[in-house]
Amino acid sequence: MLSLLKRYRRPLTVGVLLLYPLLAFLLGGRKGRDPNPIDRAVIAVSSPVQQVLTTSIEGSVAAVRGYLDLRGVRQENDALRLENLQLRAAVQSLGESRAENERLRKLLGYAEAESGPEIPARVVGVNPVAKLLSVRISSGEKDGVFRGMSVVTPDGIVGQVIRATGGYADVALVTDPQSRVAVRVQRSRARGTASGTGAGPLKLENMLRTEDVEDGDLIITAGTDGIYPPGVVVGKVTNLEKKEHGMFQGADIVPAVDTSKLEEVLVVGSPYSAMAPGSTAEGASK
Amino acid sequence: MKFLVTVGLALALLTLESVVVKQAGLVLGRIDVTVVLVAFLALRATLLEGAFSAFAVGYLLDLMSGQPTGLFTFLAVFTFLVGRLVATFVDVRGAMSFALFAMGADVGHSLLSTFFTWLTVKDGGTSSLSGLPLQVVLTGAAALALFPLLRRFEASQERQTGLLR
Repeated sequence: MLSLLKRYRRPLTVGVLLLYPLLAFLLGGRKGRDPNPIDRAVIAVSSPVQQVLTTSIEGSVAAVRGYLDLRGVRQENDALRLENLQLRAAVQSLGESRAENERLRKLLGYAEAESGPEIPARVVGVNPVAKLLSVRISSGEKDGVFRGMSVVTPDGIVGQVIRATGGYADVALVTDPQSRVAVRVQRSRARGTASGTGAGPLKLENMLRTEDVEDGDLIITAGTDGIYPPGVVVGKVTNLEKKEHGMFQGADIVPAVDTSKLEEVLVVGSPYSAMAPGSTAEGASK
Repeated sequence: MKFLVTVGLALALLTLESVVVKQAGLVLGRIDVTVVLVAFLALRATLLEGAFSAFAVGYLLDLMSGQPTGLFTFLAVFTFLVGRLVATFVDVRGAMSFALFAMGADVGHSLLSTFFTWLTVKDGGTSSLSGLPLQVVLTGAAALALFPLLRRFEASQERQTGLLR
């Protein structure tokens, strides 16, 4: 037996190297695994290099752009002054509405929803595998970022943390084919699911045919999936398809955030570990 | 030593690629630098050394994907073995023939990766294939650019043989 092993040592070793990862994939499927010490060590080595490269490339690009942008800066400045005036007026009016809203909430006895921490992070790199759309950000476990937390920008939703290590985390984008987000139409409050397709727009699914939805409607997160906070912009409805048969209607959602040009993001919400027992993760990457 | 050089090179190339992809905004048209490395290993490395190196390169790619499932580790070793088999039928010496060899490896790698991803996700298969031609061309260009570097690394690893050996 031992002599057989010795004789076929090379093909056996190669066989193990080939079959071990295949079995791990077939048994573990798409879920992946939690980072082990070797993973953490490799990430700890590669991520700072990524960050340095990103910062230096971005710095060079910004210097060139800054020089070119100086030309039209006076005209832009005038336009911005005007816009600033309009925005200040709008903020004043919104302040009134907010105060009124708070009064009414108190009157109705509404409990104020606690807003969780907002952890800022920079995108330091994009995952080089085309089949899984994810980015690496410069905040990790030591900053309070954990698996399951959601990632947003002021423009809208970005994705969900799928792995966090010391100072870095990986974020699966909403455009990833595995991504599902519980959403609603802002105007009519109709509920559905936004699914990633891998490229371009998201798909609006599970929207009942009788629900009121139109092209151009703003889609926001419903908050019912326990992952994404409610009210974050997902995108706008386009290519609405009202079928004559079946339960559901379909549409595309043009994402509010261009995930291919991310720079800074905010990590919000609670990690998986903090979820109440029994809560579902409908909106998570299934 | 060769193994460590290959792993270091793979790590450097993947890191550089992830930054370049972020800057250029290429969502689907990626460059498979790891396939270029594995193709080179298939041509030049011994069976065990190449299999271990391909395993390590695939593991790095898996790790960088954010969701290490083992798929890319398996595909790297598989591509290496198929590449070795193909290399017995074709003569790959110059940069251009190496680029074509790497492009062929990339087509196989991408199709298998799409198939296995489809097995688990059951969706998004065709959309990821639409970016394949551009990805293969970019990988070929990367192979052309990396060929002299890989040859230099290989030359630096070769031991001097003389009469006393």
